[in-house]
Amino acid sequence: MMKPFLTAALSAAFLVGTASSVLADPAAGKAAFEAKGCTACHYTDGPAKEKTIDDQLAKKGPELWYAGSKFQKDWLGKWLADPKPIRPMKFNDLMVENPGDHPKLAGADAASVTDFLMSLTSADVPAGKVKPKKNPKGRQIFIKKMPCSGCQQYTGRKKKISGGRSGPSLVEAGLRLNPDWILAYLQKPKVFKPVKMMPVFTGLLSDKDMMNVARYVANFKPKKKK
Amino acid sequence: MKKLLIIAAVTALASQFTAASTEAADSEKVFKFYCAQCHGLTGKGDGPNVTKDFPVSPRNFTNAKEMDKLSDADLKNVIMDGGPSVSKSPMMPPWGKTLTEAEVDGLIKHLRGICKCKGKQG
Repeated sequence: MMKPFLTAALSAAFLVGTASSVLADPAAGKAAFEAKGCTACHYTDGPAKEKTIDDQLAKKGPELWYAGSKFQKDWLGKWLADPKPIRPMKFNDLMVENPGDHPKLAGADAASVTDFLMSLTSADVPAGKVKPKKNPKGRQIFIKKMPCSGCQQYTGRKKKISGGRSGPSLVEAGLRLNPDWILAYLQKPKVFKPVKMMPVFTGLLSDKDMMNVARYVANFKPKKKK
Repeated sequence: MKKLLIIAAVTALASQFTAASTEAADSEKVFKFYCAQCHGLTGKGDGPNVTKDFPVSPRNFTNAKEMDKLSDADLKNVIMDGGPSVSKSPMMPPWGKTLTEAEVDGLIKHLRGICKCKGKQG
């Protein structure tokens, strides 16, 4: 009795999944991205253009040419429809708090822009390498051995938000970021952000330790209610 | 001939001056981009990362008395290799893979300008 029901449910789920991927329309999303003025702050054609500090500071928002490799689709769709500040401070500013004024996209636009952004991938982010997991070594590096927590917020013990404010917050980063991107970003910082406020850790952390940090950060998710 | 020599000398001096001020402006830019996150835009140790929970107090570069205890070589070490290389906090990152040696040397000059001190000699 149960088995046919399960099969039917699974087939339905598969169909829904297939249908949504067929419906994905990056071209409509690109048109909406341009029509809504997103290009005023974000560029979407890689590779990275920044060569100097001035280049980086001239930007009004993060580059998105590898958004499909960086973000998780579910998170991105929800965020575009209801954006909440990711950075405590305004982009490229150390004095002004993030005003939280990122434009909202209405449902259909949020979905199509998500499809467009998720189509922008980088060959420098190999898939399936990082499995999010509780990782004491990664934690040790993130909080104690290296200064990661000095600039980036995370949820510490007793759900207390700790950490610095100059970088993007990593609270619940496991919902936002593709785990494989976290590792690729640590390993190849110049590919994604040639000029950035965060130190380069290549040559300072081994690949193994970068993997530990990536697994640790990718596991920043809300705790399941018991 | 004499006039020509004077003009040449003045031009050379002026271009040196311009080069030095461009260098200083670049160092200030590097300082504000990388260091001010913790040390503050004017170097008082009050960047946006320094909340009441920040585990250490980033150095206040305007404190000439403290800055005078450090030689330029000490500053270079801590910038390149991070706090732990001089038994200080790992919250001070190792910038050796991020900055060029010329940028670090420029930063040291900038810091000496902030503290208005020469630092430990020899």
